Amino acid sequence: MTAAIDIRAVTKIYNPGSNQAVKALDNVSLTIDDNEFFTLLGPSGCGKTTLLRLIAGFEQVSGGEIMLFDDEIENLEPNQRPVNTVFQHYALFPHMTVAQNVAFGLERLGKPRQEIEATVDRVLTLVKMKELGDRRPNQLSGGQQQRVALARALAPSPKVLLLDEPLSALDLKLRQAMREELKQLQKETGITFVFVTHDQEEALAMSDRIAVMSNGEVQQIGGPTNIYEHPVNRFVADFIGDTNFLDGEIVSINDDLVTCRIGAQSMFEAANSGGHKVGDRVTLFLRPEKISLSAPDRASEPGQRPGKVANIVYLGNQAAYTVDMGDGIELTAQARPREDGRLPFAIDDALAVGFSARALRVLAQ
Amino acid sequence: MSDWLPRSAAGRRWLGLAPSYFIIGIFMLVPMIIMGVFSFLEPNPYGGVRPVGSLAAYIKLFFEYDLEDNLVFNPGYINIIFRSFQLSFGATLLCLVFGFPVAYYITLQPEHRRNFYIYLITIPFWTNLLIRTFAWIIILGRGGVIETPLLAAGIIEDSLRMMYTDGAIAIGLTYSYLPLMVLPIYASLEKLDFRLLEAASDLYANRFEVMTKVVIPLCKPGIIAGCILVFIPCLGAFIAPNLLGGGKKLMLGSLVQFQFASARNWPFGAALSMLLLSAVVITLIFYARAAKNRAAMEGSA
Repeated sequence: MTAAIDIRAVTKIYNPGSNQAVKALDNVSLTIDDNEFFTLLGPSGCGKTTLLRLIAGFEQVSGGEIMLFDDEIENLEPNQRPVNTVFQHYALFPHMTVAQNVAFGLERLGKPRQEIEATVDRVLTLVKMKELGDRRPNQLSGGQQQRVALARALAPSPKVLLLDEPLSALDLKLRQAMREELKQLQKETGITFVFVTHDQEEALAMSDRIAVMSNGEVQQIGGPTNIYEHPVNRFVADFIGDTNFLDGEIVSINDDLVTCRIGAQSMFEAANSGGHKVGDRVTLFLRPEKISLSAPDRASEPGQRPGKVANIVYLGNQAAYTVDMGDGIELTAQARPREDGRLPFAIDDALAVGFSARALRVLAQ
Repeated sequence: MSDWLPRSAAGRRWLGLAPSYFIIGIFMLVPMIIMGVFSFLEPNPYGGVRPVGSLAAYIKLFFEYDLEDNLVFNPGYINIIFRSFQLSFGATLLCLVFGFPVAYYITLQPEHRRNFYIYLITIPFWTNLLIRTFAWIIILGRGGVIETPLLAAGIIEDSLRMMYTDGAIAIGLTYSYLPLMVLPIYASLEKLDFRLLEAASDLYANRFEVMTKVVIPLCKPGIIAGCILVFIPCLGAFIAPNLLGGGKKLMLGSLVQFQFASARNWPFGAALSMLLLSAVVITLIFYARAAKNRAAMEGSA
């Protein structure tokens, strides 16, 4: 299968040679498949937007190659690259109507008038904006402008659509609705989407694959489940979702399990991912939703430990409990409110904390 | 509340605005009324006017008396007016051609450097226009800065005769009013969202199309303001036409100046000024109409 985009050892340095030189991307290689919803995820300053701008052509690579369906594109001007961008702040042309905005790319490509009109009609229908074709961008709401920006970028049928945090300016409800629409749109059009975001929820909800980036490097590439359940390092585990980290030392190993000493004398068993030896300093990680909280009389059962509620953060559909496990160890767990809406435990309540050894994973240091 | 203040809100509002009414009245309305009245009086050969009503000044704009005392059409002044519009139009165009790239270049500079460049643009205003226009005689004139080296190098054999031509006047006008073109264009370019340029090039616009389809339409208000600011003073200019045009190639401004200073025909000068004023006002009204229509069309009004 041909890769839609092949990033080969791309490096980007801003202001090279000056004392303000900044290495935004360091030897990044990744492959984006055709017809894929691919997300570049990371905190601000991680280089994800730089990578997108390099693909679009707004920045020049300092080293490496960018292939688009086997064509080398890193030295082409933006207007020579068959990719289109949905900008973070939409960047709609304020002096043109919605329809003129959408037609802009097609006109520059010299398409015949009839074809332009038909395409504008089609993509505006696709994003449910057909009725507003005569409006100006300043007469539209944020969500509507978002749709126009999408339509404008889709109209020339780009080989790859680049989306630079397009949902970040929308309010929560709209953002959630647009997620599903974007995913749907990608399936309908069959165009490869490269989506940049710092919102891990967004990335997990929409992507076929995700590249987690930090400090100008790709940390991990994989499907949403893979990234969430099997993070390769502490950064990824921490950036995606909530996590408990337990720092300790391996004291014994058998085929399935490693036993670690955490704190002074607490022993935790974790799944053996291989390659460990006794005495290694390791970090265990445990997702809060893998922990069950129950009445304190169960604390002596296998797989259960006693604990005490140290803090509660109420979130409506659930509550995040900070549980003091003794020995200086605290775990964050979740519990749902009961049917009458009351929370099952209060601060200082004793309880039983249960989790399986398979839910605990050893992270590379 | 003091007793001397008007009781009604409208009255107090009027009182608040009184100083500006006063200023506008003294500095704008009164001189204009005087000018209008003078244009309908007879000239006093020793300067000033005689309080006798007459349409002679306006008749003189279009007609003259031949030897048999018949009124015949005289295109002389009309031609001067026509020439003035042509030259002003040319100078405005030159200002636009040279001013736009300058404004654009300044906009692209880092912010701290922009103010410095703008400051440089205003430096010529610190010296008298008359002196700066004299400098152009040294540049363009016989044995001037341009000719001398070319003559010495043998590239040309005779004087280029650049002085006392329409071209010299246009250069002088362009030089005088170029900052008035650069500043408003810069003001509108500075507000331009440069992400729109990226969006345009992303949508397959080449550099030329980015300019014509996005940058220029979006800074049109600045361009129009600059053109008005240059065109109108060009119409009334008399320093550049007198010095660089040699006073023979008359423009409207120098003609008016001539009527007051030398010909001692104040009513005729006033009539010429009234004509100039009406031309300017009519142009501005058309522009305002067009701008209003556009605003209504864009729904941003």
